[in-house]
Formats: sequence, C-alpha cells, structure tokens
Amino acid sequence: MVALGQETGVHIISATIIELAFPNLVVNGYTITSPATPDYNCIAWAAEDIQAWWWPDQQLCYYWPPEIPRKETLEVFIMAYEALGYSVCEDPAYEINFEKIAIFADAAGKPTHAARQLHSGKWTSKLGNSEDIEHALGGISGSKYGVVAVIMKRPK
Amino acid sequence: MTSFSENISKLQTKEVKVPSWVVHANTAVGEDSKRVIDEYKRTIEHYFVPISRQWADPPRRFLSLKIQWESGTAFLSSITEIVLHPAYQQIIGMGPIAIPMILSEMQKKPNHWFWALKAITGDDPVPPNQRGRLREMTATWLLWGKKQGYIL
Repeated sequence: MVALGQETGVHIISATIIELAFPNLVVNGYTITSPATPDYNCIAWAAEDIQAWWWPDQQLCYYWPPEIPRKETLEVFIMAYEALGYSVCEDPAYEINFEKIAIFADAAGKPTHAARQLHSGKWTSKLGNSEDIEHALGGISGSKYGVVAVIMKRPK
Repeated sequence: MTSFSENISKLQTKEVKVPSWVVHANTAVGEDSKRVIDEYKRTIEHYFVPISRQWADPPRRFLSLKIQWESGTAFLSSITEIVLHPAYQQIIGMGPIAIPMILSEMQKKPNHWFWALKAITGDDPVPPNQRGRLREMTATWLLWGKKQGYIL
C-alpha cells in the first residue's frame, strides 16, 4: 500500500493512476516521495540531477552529456553513466561502499527508465512527468518500463 | 452548451459515480487540486460532446488531444515515445492554428511542447545551455510567442 503524505484528492488520484500503470507496486509496496514535476526525468534523477530532462533526442531539444553520442541504445546509456563513475556489475543487492543504478529496457532492448538505489537498499525512481517514488526494484517492471537490463555501481 | 452542474446531474442519472470532491468543488483548494478538478470537468464535457463537433472546433479538438497525450505519456521518460504519441502528432498536424493554444498551455505549466513548436514553426529560439531545462525553455518560447504576436 502506498504511504501518502496527505490524503487529498490529488494524492489519491496519483496513487491510483500509478498503481494501474505499475501493478507490481501494489504487491511490493511503495511510497510517493515528491510532487509531480516535469523539471527532470528518471535518467537525470538516477544521475542526481533535478535541473534537467535527460534524453538523447535527435532534435537536440533535451539535455544529454555533450561527450556522449545521441543514440537511444543501452550501450550509449551505459556510456553516459560511465562518465559519472559507474561501471557495469551483476548484483543489484545493496553494498555499503557502493552506489548503484539500474537501467530498464523494453523487449527490443531500448532504454526506457533508470532507478537509483538508496541507503535503505530500496530504489528511487522518477516516473516520467509524474512523482518520485521509493520502491522495490521489481515493483516497476512490466509493460511500461520492461525489465532491468543493466546494473551499474560506483564507489561512494 | 450545458453547464457543468447539468452535466454532473446527467451523469448521476446514468448512475455514474462522481466523486464528492468534484461535485462540491469550491475555491478553498490548492493549485494542483484545481487543475485536477478542471481536467475532470473537461473530461465530463468531452463525454457529452460528439467527436464530430470537436473536430469542427479547433480549441476543443486541441484540448481533447492534449488530455489524451498527457494521460498516455505521464510515466514516460523517452522524449521520442512522448512526441510520437498519436495525439501529439495530431496536434502537430493541426499546424499554425495550434500555436496560440500550445503557448496558452505553456503559460499554465511547462510541458513537452518544444518538438511540436519546432515542427510547426520551423523555429527554435532555445539556446544550447537551456536544453532539458523545461522552465527556461518554456520561458524562451513564451518570449518568442510575444515577439511573434501570439501572446499579448
């Protein structure tokens, strides 16, 4: 069940819409941790940037690290996080001396989402234009984001 | 056009459950709540207006497409997926008539209207250092709108 800060109509609607989109969250539990905002997306949030929406679009409308190619591939997303000190690893389990991120991809292998691990071992995600949530890693797998394709870590 | 309360009554006679916070919506609510209530009102209005009439009425058509686009892309991070949504593509297809409506939406809140504006106008006033910063990009496009005479 979602933990709500205030049981207003807006929060109840948000939670209902989130749960319809990500039914696994209902099973695993989650918490809404911010208001909805279009200021940043999950890729930025995983990189701890709340100022910009990151995406390698060909129209050059959105932010993408300038030294990284503008292509929507897993390899390129890995390069973007490697530039922040992350390297690919196998295990999503919490390690006290490391920060971890997870990149999700759809059935075609196209990146769809990124999440960042918290000190609690849970994960934090920005859901598109909507809220930030705290959740279990598997809670957001499914038709919207596909599955975890890559785990990366860097020393704290 | 029928009033919101008339539409609510019609819905209730059809045994559609309308939340009490919509029926009794008053002014003592925050901005977010107002926005949700406004969207709800538009959705109810949309329910009673035939699609054929919406197509003959560009503001109504724009609003209907905007609601479809926003609800269909709320959780997406991929800009490519967001702008390839069929409703967004139809807004681009409306051409220059959509520009003032898009700018009016941008005055209310920032959203991913940049591709549409770029596609319709062929212009891009956003400097590279603002890329991805939606509030700054929005302010730049609104300034462009004023200069072009779309906003008074």
